[in-house]
Amino acid sequence: MVVLLTWIIIGILVLLVLIFIYYFNKFVVLGNRIDNSLSQIDVQLTKRADLVPNLISTVKGYAKHERKIMTEVTEARKALLSAKNLPEKMKAGAELQNALKSIFAIAENYPQLRANENFLHLQQELAAIEDKIAFSRQFYNDSILAYNNSVQTFPGAFFAKIYTKQKKEFLQIPTEAKAVPKVEF
Amino acid sequence: MSHEVERISFHDEIQRNKLKSFFLIVVIFAFFILLGYLISQILDSSYFFIILIFATIFSLLYVVISYYNSDKIALASVNAHPADPTEHRMLFHAVESMSLASGLPMPRVYVMNSEQINAFASGRDPEHAVICFTTGALSKLNKQELEGVVAHEMSHIANYDIRFMTLTAVLVGMVSIVAQMFLRNLWITGERREGKGNIILIIIAIFAAILAPIAAQLVSLAISRKREFTADATGVKFTRYPMGLKNALIKIRDEHVPEKDKHRYPKAVAPLFIGDPYKKKFQNLFSTHPPIEARIKILERM
Repeated sequence: MVVLLTWIIIGILVLLVLIFIYYFNKFVVLGNRIDNSLSQIDVQLTKRADLVPNLISTVKGYAKHERKIMTEVTEARKALLSAKNLPEKMKAGAELQNALKSIFAIAENYPQLRANENFLHLQQELAAIEDKIAFSRQFYNDSILAYNNSVQTFPGAFFAKIYTKQKKEFLQIPTEAKAVPKVEF
Repeated sequence: MSHEVERISFHDEIQRNKLKSFFLIVVIFAFFILLGYLISQILDSSYFFIILIFATIFSLLYVVISYYNSDKIALASVNAHPADPTEHRMLFHAVESMSLASGLPMPRVYVMNSEQINAFASGRDPEHAVICFTTGALSKLNKQELEGVVAHEMSHIANYDIRFMTLTAVLVGMVSIVAQMFLRNLWITGERREGKGNIILIIIAIFAAILAPIAAQLVSLAISRKREFTADATGVKFTRYPMGLKNALIKIRDEHVPEKDKHRYPKAVAPLFIGDPYKKKFQNLFSTHPPIEARIKILERM
């Protein structure tokens, strides 16, 4: 009788250890997914920043006088490359996006620029990257959601406390990005 | 836009269909156990079970090998060639975007020659996945529609549907093997059996052995249809734009394909495609795909 009891207790202890391991691993996996999706956003932002010098030199060939907007773009790019944390990167990324929108709006006035093959190619590439930035942000938020769900629902919440895991913040779109850019002529 | 219809969330759709397909697999497994039990009540020969085990091992081996090479087999059977990043730029952009949205590694991209709008995904897991599009799809779909179809295909990869359907096929196969061997054994040793099990039980077992494989196959087709719905809903989770896939399905539905083109598709690969390549007029229990109208209606409500 005592032997049976001992085996049952051992069984329950093994089960408990497995459950502890399960939740520990779950938090690690979901947390890593968030980090990975963050670096993906980074990759796309950097790709966009990398296309800027080429764009600037193409535009300069046709629209030398639009100094203001070209300076804005170059400054925004510098800010993005030197940004250190997520909020800074989001802000710099939004400013670069606005500046680029202005460039393409202004390009409407220069038909020769618009017809330039390199310019068209860059325009398409940048448009595609905008999409990808949006999708990588979406996945980041999805990862945060999965993590928050695991940390807040029962019984995960209990283990979250033990492993000191807390829910994380969703990515906010910076307000500058929502505003329509003013185009100066 | 239909405002009177109740909106459904893709999260719920995914959950609902995954649950249903799990339940259906349990049903097949139950068939298997039931059949095995009935047979064990009637037959006595242990050699029967030894042969059964061997047969199961061999068929499992066959299934596992084809599962591991599912990507190569599927591509070879339709004569697919690798897609070109320059020529098929829109396709590559769509696949890259969907890889970002899903968090999956990028699958290998292939193209096959066919006027029909269609696509499939294969591969044992996300790291060894391939997707393939017809030239018809690339020329007839716009950016959002293409993205929707890419999302649907990548959903199959994300939900491990190839693995799931292989598992289902194994179970169905096992039911067939058990049933067949039982019937064969009955036929051979008919006179020599004595007193084990009454005649009614034997009749029931015979019926079960004949019907079980058919029933299991029907259940497996039902599972396939549920996974298609799941892939539609998961695709929406990636694009957050149900209209894209919906419009693509509408184009597929309204397409007119010359008869000769339909025979390009080997039968075994047909279930993998997003649209039924044979364009059967009647949707019924034997279809691997749910009716296109139903899929469109559900996407409209998301």
